[in-house]
Amino acid sequence: MPPYTIVYFPVQGRCEAMRMLLADQDQSWKEEVVAMQSWLQGPLKASCLYGQLPKFQDGDLTLYQSNAILRHLGRTLGLYGKDQREAALVDMVNDGVEDLRCKYVSLIYTNYEAGKEDYVKALPQHLKPFETLLSQNKGGQAFIVGDQISFADYNLLDLLRIHQVLAPSCLDSFPLLSAYVARLNSRPKLKAFLTSPDHVNRPINGNGKQ
Amino acid sequence: VPPYTIVYFPTRGRCEALRMLLADQDQSWKEEVVTKESWLQGPLKASCLYGQLPKFQDGDLTLYQSNAILRHLGRSFGLYGTDEREAALVDMVNDGLEDLRRRSARAGDKAQYVQELPAHLKPFETLLSQNQGGQAFIVGDQISFADYNLLDLLLNHQVLVPGCLDPFPLLSAYVARLSARPKLKAFLASPEHVNRPIFGSRKI
Repeated sequence: MPPYTIVYFPVQGRCEAMRMLLADQDQSWKEEVVAMQSWLQGPLKASCLYGQLPKFQDGDLTLYQSNAILRHLGRTLGLYGKDQREAALVDMVNDGVEDLRCKYVSLIYTNYEAGKEDYVKALPQHLKPFETLLSQNKGGQAFIVGDQISFADYNLLDLLRIHQVLAPSCLDSFPLLSAYVARLNSRPKLKAFLTSPDHVNRPINGNGKQ
Repeated sequence: VPPYTIVYFPTRGRCEALRMLLADQDQSWKEEVVTKESWLQGPLKASCLYGQLPKFQDGDLTLYQSNAILRHLGRSFGLYGTDEREAALVDMVNDGLEDLRRRSARAGDKAQYVQELPAHLKPFETLLSQNQGGQAFIVGDQISFADYNLLDLLLNHQVLVPGCLDPFPLLSAYVARLSARPKLKAFLASPEHVNRPIFGSRKI
């Protein structure tokens, strides 16, 4: 019986990065899908620490906050850099990914039609730091920090994938990010997950926009 | 020569929590103050990974992102819970604090912000109530980087929204107790802290 349970809406949203991590690390997990109606009407929301999903269970440990869940899995599965210095850099990357994810979420849910053009125009300056980091680490041939995969790689990969859906040519001017996405996408277990019906049929966002 | 340097604007902002941590942990650090004019005109911004401050130096390690800096100091000083389980809870708390920081930065309508504030403070009162009746720390029984971040947020909110902690007896007691820790008390009474504005150019 898997110790991991993800309690979330039937979307990729803030859970696909951790799903990719678990799949790539050969872990199984249970999905408890929460329909929007039952969320709005039921007792689950009031029971959640911040009134939000995802909720995550690792055995008897219950966690909220998607980045805390990613860090927990990073810590327990050895995906947090090889020393304290790398751990700090992994955090710095993940926080930058989170900043861009917040902007993306705001666009999708509050300003998609009016804001998309400006968002896509501004996107290069927000992607550039990650291209820079790759260029400073073995010419982009390794991972976003160091030479082993970290939770920040899964989060960054998810961020880049959803932006490729929003703006299909957004990585054209970033050769290292383009190669990085292709390379990670082809990791055997990750590839199997990314081509699975579970992933393919799961909408990115809750409002149908992407 | 202290290994730590904080490069930031002359405000508390996203650095006061880490200043409080360093002071309470008896560490010294250097402040490199960046004025708004030199920030907008000079080469520093372009050299920063995300084009933002703070920038932090620990010897030859340069970091950006205030929460990455807090975690780094947490890791370096043993302020990250006693085990992996507590570390996850510390992260969960800090991420909730970050959400509150973002919300307060975005707040356009102060009246609405004030009305919604109790709902956003309540989780932290709840966490205290579930941990030794609020007599210990936000997670477990040793101080963590999340405590300094929470204390900073609560101190700021007491100034910006006086009385906001009145419905929260455990948070009120927690703020008083942590503020009275000798080194932290000295820092909070120091001219450097007292004369540093909470925000640079924020509304609420």
